[in-house]
Amino acid sequence: MYFQLAWRNIWRNPRRTFVIISAVVIGVWSMVFLSAFSHGMLASMLDNGKSVLIGDIQIHNKKYRIDPSIDNSMDNPDKIRAVLDKTLPQGAVLTERIKVSTYVSNARHSTGAVLVGIDPENEKKISFLGKSITKGEYLDKKDMRGILVGKALLEKFDTAIGKKLIIMARDKKGKVASKAFRIRGVFNAEMEATEKQFLFITMTGARKLLNMEKGISEISIVLNSEPMVEKTAAEIKNRLDTELFAVETWKDLLPMLKAYVEIFNGFMYIWYVVVFVAMGFGIVNTSLMAVFERVREFGLLRALGLKPWPVIRSVLTESIFILLIGIIAGNLLGYVSVLLMKDNGLDLAMFGKGSEFFGMSRVIYPILTMFDVMNVNLVIFFLGAVVSLYPAFRASRITPVEAMRQ
Amino acid sequence: MSTDMKMAFRNIWRSPVRTILTLSAIAFAAIILVFMVSFQLGSYEIMVNSSVKIYTGHIRIQAEGYREKRNMRFVISSPERIAKTVEKIEEIKSYSFRANGFSLVSSENRARGVLVTGIDPEGEAEISTISGLIRKGEYLAPGDRDKVLIGRLLARNLKVGINDELTILGQGKDGSIAAGIVTVKGIFSSGIDDFDRSTVQVPLSYFNDLFYMDGAVHEIVCTADSLFDVNKIKRLLKANLSEKKQKKVVVLDWKELLPGLVQGIQLDLASAAIFYFILVLVVAFSILNTFLMAILERTKEFGVMLALGVKPNRLFKLVLMESSFLTLTGVITGVVVGCAITFWFQTHGIDLAGASEILKEYGMSGIVYPKLSIVSALAGPLLVFVITICAALYPAFKVKKLVPVDAIRSI
Amino acid sequence: MSIVRAENIKKRYIQGKVEVHALRGVSVNIDQGEFVAMAGPSGSGKTTVLNIIGGIDNPDSGQVIVDGNNYSDMTQSKLAELRLNKIGFVFQAYNLIPVLSAEENVEYIMLLQGVSAKERKKKARAILDDVGLEGKYSRRPSELSGGQQQRVAVARAIVSNPAIILADEPTANLDSKTGESLLDMMKKMNREKDVTFIFSTHDNMVMEYAKRIVKLKDGQIENDIIKDK
Repeated sequence: MYFQLAWRNIWRNPRRTFVIISAVVIGVWSMVFLSAFSHGMLASMLDNGKSVLIGDIQIHNKKYRIDPSIDNSMDNPDKIRAVLDKTLPQGAVLTERIKVSTYVSNARHSTGAVLVGIDPENEKKISFLGKSITKGEYLDKKDMRGILVGKALLEKFDTAIGKKLIIMARDKKGKVASKAFRIRGVFNAEMEATEKQFLFITMTGARKLLNMEKGISEISIVLNSEPMVEKTAAEIKNRLDTELFAVETWKDLLPMLKAYVEIFNGFMYIWYVVVFVAMGFGIVNTSLMAVFERVREFGLLRALGLKPWPVIRSVLTESIFILLIGIIAGNLLGYVSVLLMKDNGLDLAMFGKGSEFFGMSRVIYPILTMFDVMNVNLVIFFLGAVVSLYPAFRASRITPVEAMRQ
Repeated sequence: MSTDMKMAFRNIWRSPVRTILTLSAIAFAAIILVFMVSFQLGSYEIMVNSSVKIYTGHIRIQAEGYREKRNMRFVISSPERIAKTVEKIEEIKSYSFRANGFSLVSSENRARGVLVTGIDPEGEAEISTISGLIRKGEYLAPGDRDKVLIGRLLARNLKVGINDELTILGQGKDGSIAAGIVTVKGIFSSGIDDFDRSTVQVPLSYFNDLFYMDGAVHEIVCTADSLFDVNKIKRLLKANLSEKKQKKVVVLDWKELLPGLVQGIQLDLASAAIFYFILVLVVAFSILNTFLMAILERTKEFGVMLALGVKPNRLFKLVLMESSFLTLTGVITGVVVGCAITFWFQTHGIDLAGASEILKEYGMSGIVYPKLSIVSALAGPLLVFVITICAALYPAFKVKKLVPVDAIRSI
Repeated sequence: MSIVRAENIKKRYIQGKVEVHALRGVSVNIDQGEFVAMAGPSGSGKTTVLNIIGGIDNPDSGQVIVDGNNYSDMTQSKLAELRLNKIGFVFQAYNLIPVLSAEENVEYIMLLQGVSAKERKKKARAILDDVGLEGKYSRRPSELSGGQQQRVAVARAIVSNPAIILADEPTANLDSKTGESLLDMMKKMNREKDVTFIFSTHDNMVMEYAKRIVKLKDGQIENDIIKDK
């Protein structure tokens, strides 16, 4: 009865109700959709960032982060392997790498790059490299002279599969070592910078070039669930000598991305509030109009002896009905637009270099999370109810005398 | 003030609470937009300037294909001849020659593959701010030979300090091996991490001998007084250089030299534009009801006016004038308050300590200064105005279609 | 010469789901300078006749010619112009423009006609004086009594020098004394300025004032009496 009354009241002026519901719908839709979209952008940045040789957790020699040199490698990785065997949860994969800054040249060209010695089998499971060989072949574990280069570098060097590249680097003993490698395959990366930055050879090839026995530069670990990352990292830290080794998660390794995630989340909250304020003015105004139109009605109720509270309640219920309809429709619309973009995503080809500038893929797929949706709806619902209090109180203060004057 | 304007003005204040709420909504949107756009443009300017002034320059003249391939042999073989053309163009403030070669640079116990750039110390000081960003040691002097400037992070990675020796090992223009020993004369900190991690600068004369350049250079870097002169300079350079049949020379401006930055800015602008548009749309729907009500509750009044002989078009204008007054008042309030807030932050800065990692990558410090300009102060509010007026058109058209007798009868 | 000629006007309304025959063929001729009352009970169609003569309502069939202008071949905008220059309206509920003062309400019509500002002010004040509102020029409608508001409405109707003034139940909202003095004033205007007045009423007292009474019943003219002078 009581809800019925409120329901009928809001439809006394259907056009007005439609207009204000539209405002709420657009607001809610924009929040749902834009949060899904921003989430998609973030996820794309994270995936790109992590897949370029980062992973979830990395272990290095303590000194490596400040001074990423071959001198600061982990010379006896057996101990660490033993610890990881015991510690890593199910589904975790890891790979070992040797990384060194080198000077690359062929007969006509030269550049600086990072040479990475990999374990081909494990690397495939962890980083982007496994999926991105577009021409030629991947490395074989026993290949001592093969090298994988990025497409951009290949083009820059005017070279081709089967040709040679000369690698120059400082070896473990401090001498400049130089050796020719043959291009086996070409990889394509999400970002051109990656294609120019990295060269891959086998672990054994790298050890031979750099005069190393069994040392490695880093261990990269990928887990199958994000919430496990911090916990696992903490456990590894517990069991390793942290004086010698640094155990870091992607958040430590990619402080930029971590900051981006925080800024994005902060920005979305500010945005929710901004959009809400814009729509709040409309909610208050519309609700006030509805109240002022019914001054006689409210005055009469008061004259009949009704207390203020039921008046407040009835006006509030009307506002909440409008909010609810708007929220439900806005969510549905948001969900539908996310679904529509699920397959094709949003192509940022127009800004190709721009998306790369921010470390994003060219195509963004929106990601709708329960958490975002809950946030949006709670923010709107509660703030909406709060601002509706003003018209409700205003209505409760209408006196029979005021009503008669109208 | 004409009677119509007087009427419009008085009508607006018939329900003060409603009007104030509507004004606030419009002003609020305008304030947000002024601030946000100023903030964005301010950041972009810092990003562009830090890059342009530290290293990129406004315009570069290079051999065709050099930018794409970075091939040592794509050179400008007689730079002095082009320099004569460059000197004739008034808008070019200064210019300098550069040559670049990738090399393996090693210290006593570290090595890095980096870009070694040959610079003319005097000319370079005119086009780049590096000379003022030396943190340790000194800038290169005109007569210096085997002395280098290196970035702060590279110095850390190579574990070298002032007067330490570095070995440069690279490939000369003719493909032969280029090798030399130099000492560190200065260490600079540009604020752009990537640049500080990968830059070695040597005197151009020394570079010339080391890499067998035969007096050739890779680029002539020019700067202008302002970004607005760049297009003109580019046009003049192109015209003059083609006149002299200088083949295989291209003129590139900063936008072409920094495509990532430019498109990044465009992407940021485009996504921001979507956010702004949605905000304004929400505001428009929020206040559409006010506009509608203000009209509908006066249907009878409009009917009477029509009966008196007011033409529907005049009524339409009157109603639109009311909405425009209201919107303009809101927008102007928004611009004034928005500018005041923005100006305060422009002088005090916004401390984004949490974002300093990101900002450093783009050459900004942890404090961001929004920058007020005609564009940032007016672009957003203009959008608010246009969309709000569109919202006002709907009720105005309804008034135009009123039938006097029905309107008079309605309550 | 007749200033208003209505021929066989018919008009139907849909009210809710019921069709109402408001007018079933009304023909009337009114001459310059007449003071005519349309009388009859509510629902007899008097207001509709006034609205159709005033050009704010269209008949389903039949013709209206006012001062030589045939409504059937006029656009909305032309009709508005005609109303502005030839017809004055006085409504039962006064219907002044609430945001304008008494003087501005009267001036507004002249403004629409393109009269100069100086002339407007002079004329508006003169007419307000005529209707007995000296010194109340700058009062807003909400600050005037019902009788005073209706006087402003008459002043507004008359200021454009119209050929006819249509008044729909002008005294219905006024007490009898105020109503009488309003009618006296209207009659004075009729006499002095030779303005044709057509008003609707169901009040016998008002009919006393009329020189001619057109009685309507069920959308038809029942009788048309011209009183002797």
